[in-house]
Amino acid sequence: MLPLIYINNERGGMMLKLQNLSKTYGKGSVKAVDNVSLEIRPGEIFGFLGPNGAGKTTTIKMIVGLLKPDSGKIYLDNIDVWENPMEAKSRISFVPDTPEVYDKLKGIEYLNFIADIYGIPKDIRQERIEKYLDIFELRNAVGDIIGSYSHGMKQKLVLISALIHDPKLFILDEPMVGLDPKSSFHLKEIMRERCNEGKIVFFSTHVLEVAEKLCDRIAIINKGKIVALGTMDELRRYSEEKESLENIFLELTANE
Amino acid sequence: MNRILALIKMDLSITFGLSAIRHKIRNRNDMIQMIILGIALLSLIPAYLMMVSGLSRIYYAYLNIGQKSMFLLTGILACQVIILFLGILYVMSKYYFSNDLNILVPLPLKPKEIIGAKFISLLIYEYITTLPLLLPFIIIYGVNENANILYWIYSIIILVFLPVIPLSISSIIVMLFMKYTNIRGKKDLLRTIGYIALIIVMIAFQLKMQNLAQRAIDNEDFLYKIITDSTILVRSLGIVFPPSMWAALSLSNLTSISGFLYILLFVIASIAVFYIMLFLSDRVFFQGLIGNLEVSTSGRKARVKSSDFQRQSPSCIAIAMKEVRVLLRTPVYLMNSIGGVVLMPVLMVISFFIEGEESLSMIKMLLETNQRIVNLIGVGFIVVLGFLNSVCCTTFSREGKNMWIQRVLPVSTKDQIIGRILSSMFVQVIGIMVLYGSMAYIRVLTLEGALIIAVLGLLGSIPVGELGMIIDAYRPLLNWDNPQKAMKQNLNVIICMGIGGLYVFGAGFLIYKLMDTVDLLVIYGIAAAIFIVSSLILYKPLEKIIEMRFNSLE
Repeated sequence: MLPLIYINNERGGMMLKLQNLSKTYGKGSVKAVDNVSLEIRPGEIFGFLGPNGAGKTTTIKMIVGLLKPDSGKIYLDNIDVWENPMEAKSRISFVPDTPEVYDKLKGIEYLNFIADIYGIPKDIRQERIEKYLDIFELRNAVGDIIGSYSHGMKQKLVLISALIHDPKLFILDEPMVGLDPKSSFHLKEIMRERCNEGKIVFFSTHVLEVAEKLCDRIAIINKGKIVALGTMDELRRYSEEKESLENIFLELTANE
Repeated sequence: MNRILALIKMDLSITFGLSAIRHKIRNRNDMIQMIILGIALLSLIPAYLMMVSGLSRIYYAYLNIGQKSMFLLTGILACQVIILFLGILYVMSKYYFSNDLNILVPLPLKPKEIIGAKFISLLIYEYITTLPLLLPFIIIYGVNENANILYWIYSIIILVFLPVIPLSISSIIVMLFMKYTNIRGKKDLLRTIGYIALIIVMIAFQLKMQNLAQRAIDNEDFLYKIITDSTILVRSLGIVFPPSMWAALSLSNLTSISGFLYILLFVIASIAVFYIMLFLSDRVFFQGLIGNLEVSTSGRKARVKSSDFQRQSPSCIAIAMKEVRVLLRTPVYLMNSIGGVVLMPVLMVISFFIEGEESLSMIKMLLETNQRIVNLIGVGFIVVLGFLNSVCCTTFSREGKNMWIQRVLPVSTKDQIIGRILSSMFVQVIGIMVLYGSMAYIRVLTLEGALIIAVLGLLGSIPVGELGMIIDAYRPLLNWDNPQKAMKQNLNVIICMGIGGLYVFGAGFLIYKLMDTVDLLVIYGIAAAIFIVSSLILYKPLEKIIEMRFNSLE
């Protein structure tokens, strides 16, 4: 068993807290997430790393309300996500790894729908939507039905829809997959911007370079357990000769 | 040939879910569902036996007037006409909207090979579904006639070829229809309207033929002919669909050479029509199919404008708007929801129209004297449409892979329920409008009636909508990649029709019982009370089930 690396971050009140979270599939035979605890503070970009099937998506789904934990608690601003889902959900937005959206709606209709649900008044929704439509170069397509969009365009639409209500917690599952380099550059900027405003960005990824450059802190999950947690520097200090995140990752997630 | 066999094998495995069934038997939950389904099927046996004994009485009735071959025609005609009509639905989804097309079309296959394989797989499906209907006719006739071996041989030939002509005709109609409606841009809308028009025209045609046949019978010297000619009835009514007539005549003229000629005609005609269909498929199938899945973009018109940003609406309205938009823009949903509520009242009128002016005035007279009963029937009709429109009982299933959106958004269960009920109300309002039109046509619409039907009809649609949502929330069908599965092949629709039918029957029976003793105005009040109370009673369990399911889905 590898030692966990705990860090101390002194940046104000706690925002997202996972407490002893567990989830099993298939009548308890497969432990997808095994007693995971995390605390993520305002202004942090938090990277969630792990090999395929490690439990990243399962953890994320439990935070956003798509998968009920078998045990454990999730708090956002001291709100229990599963006890008070309405309050929690109005603070969260989620971008899944595959952008499944209503094919028969026009892009703009979908954005208006999401804005209605979050109760965003007309002038604010217009300002925000137009801003992100320009950033992601979707302005000319948003009047078409979503069924005509490419994979990347759908993903951009979901990103925009997730930013309309200016969420406190922005959760993304493999956000860079399928985005062109320019869009993924802009997305990284948006993530950084949000953290500067004291909000949380939580994302999972396979792409180690992204995590390395972008994240304030990183957790590596393997077989449902957090095997490492800390800033890039702390992770490096833990294994000095390993230098790159890739080496650390490979060592930590190697099969015992 | 080998390629076609391979195609047929694959198609049959997909259609009947052979591999899936094997998988299901291993799973305990699915096993229970299958057992329930089995019990449901077994419970149909008494009804089936009753039908069979009724049929043998019909046989004796025909026997008594010396027209026993008419009995065979009835069975064969019923089967072939049913196959012809349902065939249009089956063929459309199988040839043009099934998932395997994305795999099959790029393969080096000729259109007629694809169509041939799909046709055969439909044919087998038709055997399974028409056999329980036709077999009693064949057996009752054969046993009573002490039929010889030739009868049974002919019967088997007829059973084998029975679906070929109607299914080929459906295929030809659908292929031509798809070819000529394959126009960029407005394809979905055009096809939906065309589809509804097609059904209306076919039914009207059918009724007109029946009417013609009826006229022939009404002829004065017909009674005389009946006595002298034992097949006159078959030959007069058989004009509706001649192949059925040939089949019936071949069985009733077994011993003569004409019997042999009729069966030869039946078989040759079947094969000929099948080949015409195949020949045509090579020319038109791809023309109707290609571009079917392509979605056009509108270019610069798609640019966002300031007016595109709507003023804020409440969550329930946003949900309802989204539901209605998806409903209107997905052809399968449109046909099954709005198509249904438009078709039913129109068909009612058409049947009067075909019957001619006399029956129309008779019905009018009958109805005018009972205006308030007409209104109650209208209300009942709308409530029935409330579950026939399938909007609520597939509302979660239709979300499919987009369900995650509904689950991560902060939408209260109350807003979910209201929004989805509202979308069903939208469809209901269209049904009410068409009903008004139909009633106005047979001149039984009054202002009072219109008001009563609108208010009570909509009120009565709420509990059946809630019922549908309870069923769909309890067992949503989310894992589909073809919208067909969400609405047309969804068992929830049938369950909802069963339970909804019981509810309407119960409420209708209660009101009928009260009709003699209570003033009609009071009855309107009672109906309203029933609807409101049952809406309130159903609301809580519905809310619980939605909350539970939204949490527990994986």
